[in-house]
Amino acid sequence: MKNFKKVAAVALSLSMAFSFAPCVSAAKTTKIGVLVSDTTSGEALGFRSYYEDYIEEQYDVTFIYSDQLEDAAGEKDAIDSMIAQNCKAIISFSSFDRPAQIEQCEEEGVYYAVATGTLTDEQYETYKEYEYYVGAIGPDNDTEFQTGYDMAKYYLDQGMTNFGIFTGAVPYYTEMHIYRVAGMLTAMVEAGGDDANYNGATDKDSIVAQIYADGCAISTGSIGTINLLSVVEGYTMDDAWYASCEAAVNVEGLEAFLAVGNGADFFAASKPDSVKIATVDSYVDSLGEAMSAGSVDYLAGKFNSSIGPIFIAVMRAIDGDPIRTDEGYALALGQGYWVATSYEDFQTYQSGDSVESPAYTKDILDQYLEADYATFAEFVGAYTYEDITSVE
Amino acid sequence: MKNNLKRVMGTIAIPLIAFMVCQILCTAEGVKYFANAFSWKVFVRASATVMLTTFALHINLNSGRFDFSLGAISLLSSVISAQICIAAGLPVWIMLLVSILAGFVLGVISGIVYVVLRLPAIIVSLGVTLFYEGFAYVITDGYGVSFVTNAGYTSVGTIPFYLAVIAVGLVLMIVIFDFSRFGYNHKALMYGQKISVNTGIKEIPNAILTYGIAGMFMGVVGFISATNNGTIQMSLNFGSISVMFTAFFPMFAGGFIGRFSNDKLGYLLGAVTSAFVSLMYSRLNVDSSIQQIVTALILVGFVIFLSNEYKITTFFTGHRAERRAA
Amino acid sequence: MKQEKALKAPSQAKVLMKRRILNLVPVIGLLVLIAVYIFVGYWEDIRFDKGIQAILNSSVVCAVVATGAIFIYTLGSFDISLGAATLVSAMIGAMAYNATGSIVVLMLVCVLVAVGIELISSLLAAFLDLPVFITTVAMMSILNAFALVLIQVNGTGDSISIPSEAVDPFDNMVFKLAVLILYLIFAVFMFNYTKIGRSQKFLGGNPLCAKLTGISMKKMAIVAFVLCGVGIGLGAILTVTYAPTVSRNTASGVGMNVILAIVFGGMPVSGGAKSKITAAVIGAISISVLDQIMSILQLGSGIGQMVKAVIFLAVVVLTSLGYRQKMLAR
Repeated sequence: MKNFKKVAAVALSLSMAFSFAPCVSAAKTTKIGVLVSDTTSGEALGFRSYYEDYIEEQYDVTFIYSDQLEDAAGEKDAIDSMIAQNCKAIISFSSFDRPAQIEQCEEEGVYYAVATGTLTDEQYETYKEYEYYVGAIGPDNDTEFQTGYDMAKYYLDQGMTNFGIFTGAVPYYTEMHIYRVAGMLTAMVEAGGDDANYNGATDKDSIVAQIYADGCAISTGSIGTINLLSVVEGYTMDDAWYASCEAAVNVEGLEAFLAVGNGADFFAASKPDSVKIATVDSYVDSLGEAMSAGSVDYLAGKFNSSIGPIFIAVMRAIDGDPIRTDEGYALALGQGYWVATSYEDFQTYQSGDSVESPAYTKDILDQYLEADYATFAEFVGAYTYEDITSVE
Repeated sequence: MKNNLKRVMGTIAIPLIAFMVCQILCTAEGVKYFANAFSWKVFVRASATVMLTTFALHINLNSGRFDFSLGAISLLSSVISAQICIAAGLPVWIMLLVSILAGFVLGVISGIVYVVLRLPAIIVSLGVTLFYEGFAYVITDGYGVSFVTNAGYTSVGTIPFYLAVIAVGLVLMIVIFDFSRFGYNHKALMYGQKISVNTGIKEIPNAILTYGIAGMFMGVVGFISATNNGTIQMSLNFGSISVMFTAFFPMFAGGFIGRFSNDKLGYLLGAVTSAFVSLMYSRLNVDSSIQQIVTALILVGFVIFLSNEYKITTFFTGHRAERRAA
Repeated sequence: MKQEKALKAPSQAKVLMKRRILNLVPVIGLLVLIAVYIFVGYWEDIRFDKGIQAILNSSVVCAVVATGAIFIYTLGSFDISLGAATLVSAMIGAMAYNATGSIVVLMLVCVLVAVGIELISSLLAAFLDLPVFITTVAMMSILNAFALVLIQVNGTGDSISIPSEAVDPFDNMVFKLAVLILYLIFAVFMFNYTKIGRSQKFLGGNPLCAKLTGISMKKMAIVAFVLCGVGIGLGAILTVTYAPTVSRNTASGVGMNVILAIVFGGMPVSGGAKSKITAAVIGAISISVLDQIMSILQLGSGIGQMVKAVIFLAVVVLTSLGYRQKMLAR
């Protein structure tokens, strides 16, 4: 009986292992690796859905996704693994060490592109001539700054003076969030009267510098006539942190709470009706419900198919016809968010970018398979809903 | 009389000291510690969740079974209950019941895997954690669950509700483990596995049921967390195990307090102590890295005290004797 | 009597044979996984040269740290702060490089910091009579918070980096394998051919009896943690030389992967005489091969993790056949 158990155990594990084989497809298509640092965010899942459920259906391509990445070593491991699987290019949504990713791909002769992000000016100068660096399309720091600025200005223009901010990964020195917060603070300084300043800083550059000088801790207090009443930082997500979230939106007198991300997830359930929540996020169902119920008032969201243009750029590189600037450099194109300030806006944007009928359809994307740099840059720059839907 | 006073003092000393220290710190910073009803809610909620997590950790750990999967059970049970209730439009109390039931079933499955595989509990819990985290991810397509707009679900978290959870949890724990045959057997197995088994106590059902009860407590923790936040965030690659770490201090504190009264009451008071500290962090907006360090130092400090209590006592009584002699 | 002995003799031989076979189960498990990898890889037409490189790259840090951790596990102890210790050692090593420009200093600092961290843990546990697990839980929190403080003090964004040119000469298989093999030889020697290793196995198997023979648990715990510290330090060196940008999540998976690897490799978590120093390497490579299989199959994060859990438990059931008890294991 004992022996039988052992034999059965061995057989079970072997059959389990070999039972994977039927899952494997022998089809040979172009493989593209995709690096993802957060496999659980709505944004990342929306992007994945666009690539796997739409692009894979339309083009002869297979996307090889990484597991959740935690650090620069994980990124290198994932690229190693993708190269082993014959991926011709890597599209990266992970930024622990972009220079290392670019160097690794250049060395291995695999194309590399940054989706929904950009390189710093210094990094671009270093890598723009690399043969296998396709480029980056996504919100640059200026766009992130503007996103935060517009969000705060939306409420300042309505005469609101009492704000709270969720600074997200600012304490972890994440640039994207630092620039969004700097945008919010700059808008408040501009609306706060002549002597208004944030810890002595009064314009974009000095506010960004001040945030770094303060160790990336944002302080509450008055910015001229504007009051920053509450700040929540980080993603500790323990009891004390959730209590801070709840407290931050329940501060007396608070009118609007601006979140660099996850505004609906962490603040919508505990806010009083009088407080408006604004957030940067994506066009997923849960955000739609939140906007419909008035739990979220303002959404600057990435749309799922916004990663269509970088796919075309990558495919062209693989096909031997890379898009380069007139000087022969890699792409560095900015792309912003779609802003919804009502549920109707949200519905329009979401239905206009579904898996079945995304904003960037195959018909649209195919128009740029042979376009020159200027035409492609213009196409990417026209990212608003109205711009895209006007393309025939 | 003196004995009773000693018992009362021994029982309330830890939370009392914690409260006083936190109160002093808040006063020094010019912040009102318990500013409003909201502060009370935060405090009572933290007490409830930490107490239940401590119960869940303790009932297996006291039998040498280390369970990493508590966080994963909490996550998956809340996902299951929220998915079912949102889809069927069921009321929040059904969601609570489904969460408890799901937690119990997941705990029992965990226990059965442990019993069938005959591996150390810690190893089984690693596999179970990975499996449950993965399963929660699969059934939500990775998006987690969000019901921030459903006031019927998110408004359940009131002070009376959390107090009721604490009361029911504590009574249940005392009745099950101090006044039932199952509890007597559990204790016997805890102190002498081999002898108990030889005397005819059935270890396997006892272990499976213990896992089930632990799962049930974590089901409630998952429910509280989900209804409070309105969302359930996904965890992968052991991301859920941090829930368990909140229970270590209350468990040691509870053990100490138990000497003066009842250990289960001790775990509650240990959780209350943690909740005092959490509220202080929240009120003073303490930096998360400082929080981590302070919490760790409190834990180490307390365990050092527990492990060296007799030396400390001797040290002080020795000094007193010397003083008297002088 | 003679008849009894005659009956017993073959059964003892059988037992010995059975034990030998069971000892080979982790290796067989690894070979099966490699066979599956080759099968699936052949089917998907992967580049095996790059595949092997990927497996070694992703397993070497875990293998080195886990080899060191075997000394702690042998005592029946447990250290959950290994990942955080690797992170802080790598961070301070990188800062030391940035201050001095010397790669030798980086390496020395990595090892010294790691040994220092483990020494503090063990001294706290030994002289203040703390439960080792609790000490390491607290240490993990403190080290993770300390890493954030270091990033803040360093003031160069969300990570601490050193120039990749500085570590390029060391980011190759020869260096990685040399570090792993040399440390493994050292660990095997310490574990199997010195009094320290024998004492540790004795202590893990029967602490009371070992104590009565004059072996000091405290001293042996300190030695185990220091030896593990060397492994962590080497792991930190390999981390920085492989990916010279150290952020707050660097090596965050190492702690749990070490436990998985050790168990996967056939080592009982209760420690004792059946502890095997090679379990770490076998386990780390097994997990890495399994991850590669998952990646090729593209099962998705959720299902992939569920399948990994099932295979992990199945393999551990097989590898544990040699030490399973009749009563429920604790």
